[in-house]
Amino acid sequence: MTVKEFKPLPDQPAPITTSGPIAWLRDNLFSSAFNIAATIIIVASLMAVLPDMIDWLFISANWTGATQDDCVKDGACWVFISAWSQQIFYGSYPDEEIWRVNLCLFLLAGVIALSFLLPDRLRNKVSVPAFLLLPFICIMLLDGDMIGLTPVPTNLWGGFSLNVLLAAASIIIAFPFGFLWALGRRSEMPFARSVSVTCIEFFRGTPILALFFMGSVMLPLFFPADVSVDKLLRVWIILILFMSAYMAEVFRSGFQAIPNGQYEAADSIGLGYWQKILLIIFPQVIKVSMPNILATFVMVFKNTVFLLVIAVPEMLQVIMSALSNSNWLGGHAIEGYLFVGFVFWACCFSMSLLAKSIEKKLDTSHKK
Amino acid sequence: MFAKKTAEQIKLETRPSGAGATAFYNNPKYRGWIYQTALFVFLIGFFYSIISNTLDNMSAQGIKSGFSFLNTSAGFDVLMSLIPYETTDSYSQLFIIGILNTILVSAIGIIFSTILGFIFGIAYFSHNWLIKQIAIVYVEIFRNIPVILQVIFWYTVFNALPIARESLSLGDAIFLNVTGLYFPMLVGDSGSEFVYGAIVIAIIAVFVIKRWAKKRQDLTGEQFPVLWTSLGILFGLPLLVLLVTGIPFHLDYPALRGFNFRGGVSVIPELISLAIALSVYTGAFIAEAVRAGIQSVPKGQTEAARSIGLKESKIMSLIIVPQSMRVITPMLNSEYQSLVKNTTIATAIGYPELFTVFAGSALNQVGQAIEIMFMTLAIYFIINMVISVIMNHFNKRTELSSR
Repeated sequence: MTVKEFKPLPDQPAPITTSGPIAWLRDNLFSSAFNIAATIIIVASLMAVLPDMIDWLFISANWTGATQDDCVKDGACWVFISAWSQQIFYGSYPDEEIWRVNLCLFLLAGVIALSFLLPDRLRNKVSVPAFLLLPFICIMLLDGDMIGLTPVPTNLWGGFSLNVLLAAASIIIAFPFGFLWALGRRSEMPFARSVSVTCIEFFRGTPILALFFMGSVMLPLFFPADVSVDKLLRVWIILILFMSAYMAEVFRSGFQAIPNGQYEAADSIGLGYWQKILLIIFPQVIKVSMPNILATFVMVFKNTVFLLVIAVPEMLQVIMSALSNSNWLGGHAIEGYLFVGFVFWACCFSMSLLAKSIEKKLDTSHKK
Repeated sequence: MFAKKTAEQIKLETRPSGAGATAFYNNPKYRGWIYQTALFVFLIGFFYSIISNTLDNMSAQGIKSGFSFLNTSAGFDVLMSLIPYETTDSYSQLFIIGILNTILVSAIGIIFSTILGFIFGIAYFSHNWLIKQIAIVYVEIFRNIPVILQVIFWYTVFNALPIARESLSLGDAIFLNVTGLYFPMLVGDSGSEFVYGAIVIAIIAVFVIKRWAKKRQDLTGEQFPVLWTSLGILFGLPLLVLLVTGIPFHLDYPALRGFNFRGGVSVIPELISLAIALSVYTGAFIAEAVRAGIQSVPKGQTEAARSIGLKESKIMSLIIVPQSMRVITPMLNSEYQSLVKNTTIATAIGYPELFTVFAGSALNQVGQAIEIMFMTLAIYFIINMVISVIMNHFNKRTELSSR
């Protein structure tokens, strides 16, 4: 009997191209003929555009100064932005009263932080009323007339702070309305249901610009002749109605995500309709709809720029009037628009990141 | 000692609201009626006060009502119209011009945003890292910037272009300058109607062949090269007729005469800026929808396609995208509708679509806000309904059919 001698195969060379930077390049950039061509074209076009762009934006840009004459270099004139920064952020709000705008923004941030920081027990009891009161407190603060401060008429309010506060105030008030409309749409009462559906579909189907236009030309006709309603208040009403319709649809999808068993469980322990909705269903709906609520907020925040069409001095409107200022007639439109674009991009992008992280957090809770 | 209680007593004691449990207002049926009556009364009061206030205000301001203004002459010019228009024409003519311009820019926007959306949505799944990054950057930048800002930005860029005399040109046929884009127009001479006829016949023939090939495949399993045959018929037949009739077409080139170009097709900068901004903005949302749709297709489908030896390039187009359409189509529906609604931002740069000419200029002159807003909004509702019907029809075909 012959014993088969064990002959090891010759050692394979270590694979040098399965990990590390070379392998990464090969897998991700040069994996096929098409990919090689695509990579070369993309890199070449980036090389052609990026250096000039970076140079214009940063290196040969003018950063310091206060007037147009300080823009001596070829690059972007960021002096334009810094010279107008107060207008861009606060509109024409009087210098010595700006603390009121800041206080409002601070209160907004505080209320949002509160809802994250409070213990579960107090969260709903404290932060819901705080949210609902906030818009009215801010209006009293900004207006000043009611609480004995120097009155500031609403045509002086403006700038980016107006975009933020208006969007926040609209979504906060639209919350209960949207919730009611969503309940109405799901209700078994036929008349209430058709009224809700009509409202929702009307405000969702109409261009927001048309709604703003209606706010500026039609709403004044609806009020009694001796009542004059402030333009900003009309805009606010329009935004609330518009938002309510979108929030109603967000809530509806939230309601549909709640298993039937939750309703049945609430019924079985003998809860009434409102107890069932507010104590059992609503908290779950909020949790499920959170990413969509944020997305809706991003939408309305972006839509506040549309107000420039009816001459509300929001951020872009301020930039556009700065562009026509006789001291700055050098054509800094690109810098101005880039700046507004960047500010909105930064806000919306960070909110969409927040929405994504919330979504991820919720996702794990459903997985076993 | 506990006294023995009846079930009714226990119920009354354990339920805090038990006292009125049998009252009529706690009966869900009556309660529904009460709520709805209250709502009805509220709405009647609400609309009554609105209507009476409106009538009072209108008579106080001397605003007429009714639609008779539609027959009066508008008296102002529009920047662009697809049908002949003079300043003496009526408001109803203006209304139609507005509708046509809205439909034009919506159609351009829908086509290009869909193309952009699908390119970048699919690019997200590229094996090339750079392509994937470009897709991500595109979506994250353009969807997070207000669309009205994008329109104004492109319009500003357009205004920075050279004047007509120093136009950017491509082969002396296409010109781009601050007044717009100019390209040659195909003009049919006598005999061209035969070519148009051939195109119609070719399209019908393609449908017939497609039907026949499907039937034959269902019966015999034999495949017929439908794509190549249809392409052959679609291009071959008109080409043949074109040659037989001696090419009855000529190109009308734009040429610089005086201060601007004449001839050819001219596109005004307002339309281009609006179309670019809407396509790019909506394209970013469609790209997200396409990405979500593709991600919804189980990975097993790709693996199965590979296991039967399908080429990598075919897997996407034959297996993944058709299945992902189930998720994509409903989202496309709402994106298209929001694109149509967003065409109203034309009013910021003055492109004469429905909202600008009718709710803007006409309303300014006539002052009949109620009628004009009603007509304008009705058109947007109708356009969106048409889109919805088409997309729902398309959705039915892509839906998962369970047997």
